[in-house]
Amino acid sequence: MKIVSNLLENIEGIQIYYIIGLLIFFVLFIVIFIRTMKRPNKEMEDIKNSILEDNDAEKIVTS
Amino acid sequence: MENQKFYYDNKIVKLFLLATIIWGVVGVIVGLLIALQLAFPFFNFGLEFTTFGRMRPLHTNAIIFAFVGNAIFGGVYYSLQKLLKARMFNDTLSKIHFWGWQLIIVLAAVTFVFGISTSKEYAELEWPIDILITIVWVIFGWNMIGTLVKRRVQHIYAAIWWYLATFLGVAILHVVNSLALPISLIKSYSIYAGAQDAVVQWWYGHNAVAFFLTTPFLGLMYYYLPKAANRPIYSYKLSIIHFWSLIFLYMWAGPHHLLYQALPDWAQALGVTFSIMLIAPSWGGMINGLLTLRGAWDRVRDSAVLKFYVVAVTAYGMSTFEGPMMSIKTVNQVTHFTDWTIAHVHIAGMGWNGGLVFGMLYWLIPRLFKTKLYSEKLANTHFWIATLAILIYAIPLYWAAITQWLMWQEFTPEGFLAYPNFLETLTQILPMYTIRIIGGTLFLTGFLLMVYNLFKTMATGSVEANEAAEAPALVLQGARNPLSETVHRWMERRVVRFSIWVFIALAIGGAVEIIPMIFIKSNIPTIDSVKPYTPLELEGRDIYVSEGCYTCHSQVVRPFRWETDRYGEYSKIGEFVYDHPYQWGSRRTGPDLARAGVITGPMYKNAAWHYNHFMDPQKMNEQSIMPNYAWFAKNEINLDMVPNKIRAMQTLGVPYPEGFDKIAVDDLMQQAQKIVDDLKVSNIDIEPTKQMVAMIAYMHKLGKDISPPPIEIVEPETTEQTQEIELLSGEEDLAAAKAIFTTTCVVCHGADGKGIATFPDLTDDEWLTGSSPSQVYQSISNGNIAKGMIPYKNQYSENQITQLTSYILITLQDENSK
Repeated sequence: MKIVSNLLENIEGIQIYYIIGLLIFFVLFIVIFIRTMKRPNKEMEDIKNSILEDNDAEKIVTS
Repeated sequence: MENQKFYYDNKIVKLFLLATIIWGVVGVIVGLLIALQLAFPFFNFGLEFTTFGRMRPLHTNAIIFAFVGNAIFGGVYYSLQKLLKARMFNDTLSKIHFWGWQLIIVLAAVTFVFGISTSKEYAELEWPIDILITIVWVIFGWNMIGTLVKRRVQHIYAAIWWYLATFLGVAILHVVNSLALPISLIKSYSIYAGAQDAVVQWWYGHNAVAFFLTTPFLGLMYYYLPKAANRPIYSYKLSIIHFWSLIFLYMWAGPHHLLYQALPDWAQALGVTFSIMLIAPSWGGMINGLLTLRGAWDRVRDSAVLKFYVVAVTAYGMSTFEGPMMSIKTVNQVTHFTDWTIAHVHIAGMGWNGGLVFGMLYWLIPRLFKTKLYSEKLANTHFWIATLAILIYAIPLYWAAITQWLMWQEFTPEGFLAYPNFLETLTQILPMYTIRIIGGTLFLTGFLLMVYNLFKTMATGSVEANEAAEAPALVLQGARNPLSETVHRWMERRVVRFSIWVFIALAIGGAVEIIPMIFIKSNIPTIDSVKPYTPLELEGRDIYVSEGCYTCHSQVVRPFRWETDRYGEYSKIGEFVYDHPYQWGSRRTGPDLARAGVITGPMYKNAAWHYNHFMDPQKMNEQSIMPNYAWFAKNEINLDMVPNKIRAMQTLGVPYPEGFDKIAVDDLMQQAQKIVDDLKVSNIDIEPTKQMVAMIAYMHKLGKDISPPPIEIVEPETTEQTQEIELLSGEEDLAAAKAIFTTTCVVCHGADGKGIATFPDLTDDEWLTGSSPSQVYQSISNGNIAKGMIPYKNQYSENQITQLTSYILITLQDENSK
């Protein structure tokens, strides 16, 4: 019985899945990273703080 | 802008939180039960309904889908309304969601107890319940997206992206993995076979961890952690980057559950690559969580809520580092099939999921009931007990994993396995299982403290079912103004488009993994000698599947010498083409069974052995922890279903000849009769239609097709015994022999050598092949395959066999004559 190994080489064009997948990831990652970093900090602060601006925040009991 | 009045729906939140608490207690108790079963098989209670194989899926499903599931829904329904300044989209949908989900849980519990299971880990439910899950899940998504559409805020906060990803991720995973061909209301066959099924299942299994235990909890973290700490999240930019990276990468990593197994190399490599990459976005979440507490650490000292969050986020960081490490192949050979995985999931489950849920409950219930927590001190006690419990649970299991792995792969200087009997490696770690019970008990104790504390809290307040609030209506902005708005910002306020992008990010990874596996034929090289299961073997396999045997027994031999020596030839991808579903398993509490039917192999046991073993495993070996399956001898197989099953298999592409369904029952009865006759030789009477017969047939099928045809059994030639054996009467020799005898030979011959059931007495004068030292030596060395004894010359050195011969002829005979 033939030992089945190194299937990667037996499937034609299989590496294209890898390459396309990784390319999509890295391109998107770079785009998202740059765009996110360019966003104004003020806007980020506003969003972050927005969730604390309701009644819940005042009621916090810590002990 | 005029303010609009509206009401938050708090009642639905309360219902989900109550369900969380109740199912949590149930799930932890069942967990404790199965921990007891593993240390003391008595706790299987000798009932078919309470065996480990049926209880283990009950525990995992109760924890994941009942406890964690209800906590997610409760947490989402509260935070979503507050974040969007809107009531849930539709009260009826909310109610259907709640009651539908509880119905699913009850149905799951009942079906598992009655042995109705597809055996696909964390997706064991049968098809009617799967359909119900799909419907309820779509209602959840509909309700959530509906609320998003009618929201009163412009921006969709980070927590909600995770909720959306959860909805979409689980929907894709559940539907693809559950595709099956029903043959009755309670039985279906997975449409995937063998390696394909394994890939789809672990694509699901791994991503169930991602999209049920990670993404919703990151969402909950992004809301409840800042709220409890009264600090905004550390970095919103980080949350955007790690969100997109995490949801994109997770989907690719599934095959790391199948390393060294019968899966193409490319798929394994893919899984490993993306698993390692996952560390970065996972730690993005951890860092964001922990750094949110900067400047608030003084409050952590007093607040149980914050303490639970700290442990949760830390456990998340640990697990998401450990996970990628475990998917490195060399590490994986240690962690896979051992208790390492069990420890790993409990660090994540008890620490990350448990911690966040406990923190959330302690914070949310007083707010919901408009009161103070009954006892902060009790909550702090719960925290310390739970944290200690996690350590006492996990550390012994890491220890057990290393111990067992070292024992599995240890060889003697002669080149034989040092522990050829699997049971030795298990007996060694049973003390660790006992310590684990202490961990589990502590965790349950803490949990019950919380239940008491929370119910006391609830008694002092009341829920305002419809809480009044007001907020200005949202004026939808039109097209993006490129000067004032970035693309991401614009996308975030377009909820449907945002969802589509999430869906695409998820779909790419899944597609890369699954499309080549299923559509490229050359992925599965067929092996000519592998034949479809006979109707009787198929019946046996269905019993194996429904009993959850996969929870302890794997069926895939990895290509290591220490595995091939122990079990036989390593598994090939083409062996599994008729397996709907695959049964490779993920933990070896018992030995691998992939070669149980290879007559000349080390795993073969004859029909009488299997019969006796199923009836009472502890009689065969006192130290065994397998539950007994005595009802196999009582329960009938359902002959009416046989033709249906064959036709279903044909539909799925199994090449039975045309019209085979009509003669399937006859075929089954013929094969069953052979086994019945075989058992009769050993004075065992059983009817051919009993489940026991089917199970024996299935055991004997495993690996049979790829093994060389059984050689003619040649009676040992008595004339050829030229080799004289000198008995070794030294104390050391006899002690060494006793060690082997009490781990290996006892299984059939008993500790006193008098034989169990129909297996021969070694202390009397009846010897099939003679009782001279050289004849006994030959009997051990060559075995007696027809009677179920394997040739031990493949497992023990000549010296060891001589020692054994001496032990039998000196010690046992002496003891007997006393």
